[in-house]
Amino acid sequence: MMNESTWKTLLSRHLSQLLLIAALAGLMLYLSAASPFFWQWENLRNIADQSALMMILGVGMTLVIIAGGIDLSVGAIAALSGIIMALLLKSGTNSTAALTAGLVVGVLAGLSTGGLISRMRLNPFIVTLAMMSVIRGVALILSQGMPVYNFPAEVTWLGKGFAAGLPVPLWLALAVVLAGVLVLNTTRFGQYVQAIGGNEEALHRSGVQVRLYKTAIYALSGFCAALAGIIVAARLNTAEPTAGWMFELEAIAAVILGGTSMKGGVGSVAGTVIACLLLGVLRNGLTILSIHSYYQQLLIGLIILFAVVSSEIREGIS
Amino acid sequence: MSKRFWATVVSLMLLLGLLASAGCGTSQPTSHENNAQPITLQAEQKTALNPKAQAMEKALMEQLQPMPQMNTGDKIGVLVISLTNPYWVGMRDAYLAVAKDLGVAVDVASAPTEGDTKSQLETLEAMTAKDYKAMILSPIEPFNLVPGVVKANQKGIKVVNLGPPIDPATLRQAGGHLDGKITVDFEEQGAMAARYIVDKIGSDGGKVAIIQGIPGAGQSEGRTNGARKVFEQSKGINLVSIQPGNWDRNTAYNIATNLVQAHSDLKAIFCCNDVMALAAADALEAAGKRQGKIVFGVDFIQQAQEAIKAGKLDGSIAYSSKVYARAGLILAMKAVQGHTLPAAVYSPLAAVTRENVGEFENWQ
Repeated sequence: MMNESTWKTLLSRHLSQLLLIAALAGLMLYLSAASPFFWQWENLRNIADQSALMMILGVGMTLVIIAGGIDLSVGAIAALSGIIMALLLKSGTNSTAALTAGLVVGVLAGLSTGGLISRMRLNPFIVTLAMMSVIRGVALILSQGMPVYNFPAEVTWLGKGFAAGLPVPLWLALAVVLAGVLVLNTTRFGQYVQAIGGNEEALHRSGVQVRLYKTAIYALSGFCAALAGIIVAARLNTAEPTAGWMFELEAIAAVILGGTSMKGGVGSVAGTVIACLLLGVLRNGLTILSIHSYYQQLLIGLIILFAVVSSEIREGIS
Repeated sequence: MSKRFWATVVSLMLLLGLLASAGCGTSQPTSHENNAQPITLQAEQKTALNPKAQAMEKALMEQLQPMPQMNTGDKIGVLVISLTNPYWVGMRDAYLAVAKDLGVAVDVASAPTEGDTKSQLETLEAMTAKDYKAMILSPIEPFNLVPGVVKANQKGIKVVNLGPPIDPATLRQAGGHLDGKITVDFEEQGAMAARYIVDKIGSDGGKVAIIQGIPGAGQSEGRTNGARKVFEQSKGINLVSIQPGNWDRNTAYNIATNLVQAHSDLKAIFCCNDVMALAAADALEAAGKRQGKIVFGVDFIQQAQEAIKAGKLDGSIAYSSKVYARAGLILAMKAVQGHTLPAAVYSPLAAVTRENVGEFENWQ
C-alpha cells in the first residue's frame, strides 16, 4: 500500500529508539562515574521500581496517542480507583473484591470516555479534560477530601512487596508492557489502533467497527490508570483524592519522548518504556548528585523539549 | 435513538462535573443568628480541648486582649487554599465550630486545587460582592490575591490574613492594606524540628537531608530555611541534600528511597509536611533502612499522630487548628468593631515527639 514511506517511518522510528538508548547509556555512564552509589544493584532496582508506574500508564497512553487521541483523565482515574479500593477495604470487603472493584471502576471510566469520544465524535482533548475534573470530583466527594489509610498486608504487597527478587510493581509493569507489545504488533486490534491514528475515515469505509475499537482503547487506558492508582495506594499504604496529580502529563511526556507521534499512526511501546527508564534514571541521578531542587524541573523540561524538537527535525529530514 | 441516548449521557456528565466542582470549590454556609446557643457550645468546646491546646489558646488570647463583643451575628467570609488538602478540611471544620462558639456567621470558600491561583482570586472577587463585614484570607502564594484585597478595601470589608502571607509591599503599591494578620512562623517550625533532630543525633554528628514542598511556596521555603540555618550552625551536622517533594506522597517516597541509597549513613530527614514525612518513613521501612534514622514532619495531621504513637514517625510540629481559627475570627471581629490591631500575631507551636505524643490526645 505504502511501501517506501513505511520503510522510512520504520527506520525513523527505530532511529529514535536507538538514540534514546544511546542517551540512556550515556547518562548511566556519566552517573556511575559521578557517584559511587549509582551503579549498585539496589539503586538500579529502585529506578526500575520507580519507573514501573509510568510504564504502566505509558503503555495505555501509547495506544491512545497512536490512535490519534489523548487521555488527560488517567491521573484522576488513578486517584478514584485507589479511593474506591480503599473505602471498600475499610468497609470490610475482602481484598480481592476491593482490588477488582478498583480496576473495574477504571475500565468503566475509560468506557464512558471512549464512548463519548467515538459515538458523538467529540474532541478527545476536551472530553478527557472534562472527565479529569468529573472523576477527581467524584473521588473528592467519596473521600470527603481526606486520605484513607492502613490496608491489609496482601494489598500493600502489591506496592512494596517482592517476588523472585524483583519488586511486585515491576513485575506488573513488565506484564503490561509485554501485553502492550503483543497487542500492538501481533493482533488485528493493534493494526486497527495504528490505522485509526493514520486514517480513521478509510478504516471506517472499509467496514471496520471503528467506534468499538476506539472505545476499547480508552477502556484499556482506564485499566492501566486504575492499576497504577492501586499500586500507588498500596505502596504508600494510603489512598488520597489528590493522588496521581500530573500523572497524565508525565505519561504523555514519556510517550512523546519515546518517539510516538502526537499526530497519531506511528509509535511504539518499547520507545515509551525506554523513555520511562530515561526519566527514571534522570530523577534518580538528580537526587543522588544532590542537584538543587530549583534546577530539577528546568532540566527535565529542557530534556523533553530537546527530544521533541530533535524528533520533529528528524521527521522533517526523512 | 442512540444519538439521543448519548446526548443525555453527556448532559448528565456535565451536570455531575458542575456539581463536583461546586462541591469542592464554593462555600459551605452556616448561619447562626441565634444568640442563646453559643454559651453552652463554648462550655462544650472548652472541655473538649486538650490541656496543651488550652495552654496555647491562653497564650494566644493574651496577645489578642481586649476581646471584641461576641454574638454579633456578623457575616465573615473565609477563603482557604484548597479543600483537597486534609489540613484545610480540618481548618474549615475548625472555623465552622468556632463561629458557632463566637456567635458569628461564617462561609468557607476555597480554590479548586492547591495550585489554582487564578481561581482563588476569582473566588475572592466574587466574595467581595457579598455583604461580608470581614474576610479571612489564606493565599496560595504571596501575590495572587492582591487585586481582590484592594477591591475588598474599597468596599470597606475588613481583611485579615491568616497563614501564608500576602506580600505587604506589593499590596501597598497596588493601593491596598491588611487590617490584621495572624500566622505561624514557618521558619520557626523548621528550626524547631531541626533542633530536635540535632539534639537526638548528639555529639557524634552526621548527615541530614530536607524534603521540601513545592519550591517557591511560602511554607516550603520558610520551613526549609529555618531547618537549614539550624543544621548549618550545628557542629558535626552535614546537610547533604534539599530535594523537592512537591507536597506529594509518591514523590517523597521515591526521593527518600534514592536518598538512603546515596547516603546509607544518613541520620535524619526533615520533611516540610506530614504527608511527605509519612511517605519517607514508609520508604525507609520498605528499604530496610528505617532503624537509627529520624524522620520528622510538620502539621501534626491525624495520620501522623497515629504514626508517631506506633513508632513509625519520630515527630511533627503542631499548632492547634481550632485555636488558630479562633484567633483569626477574633481578629476579624476586632477589626469590624474598630479595635486597633497588632501588626502581626503568631500562633504558638509545639514539637510533638515519641516522648511526649501522649500529651496530645484529642488534638484539634
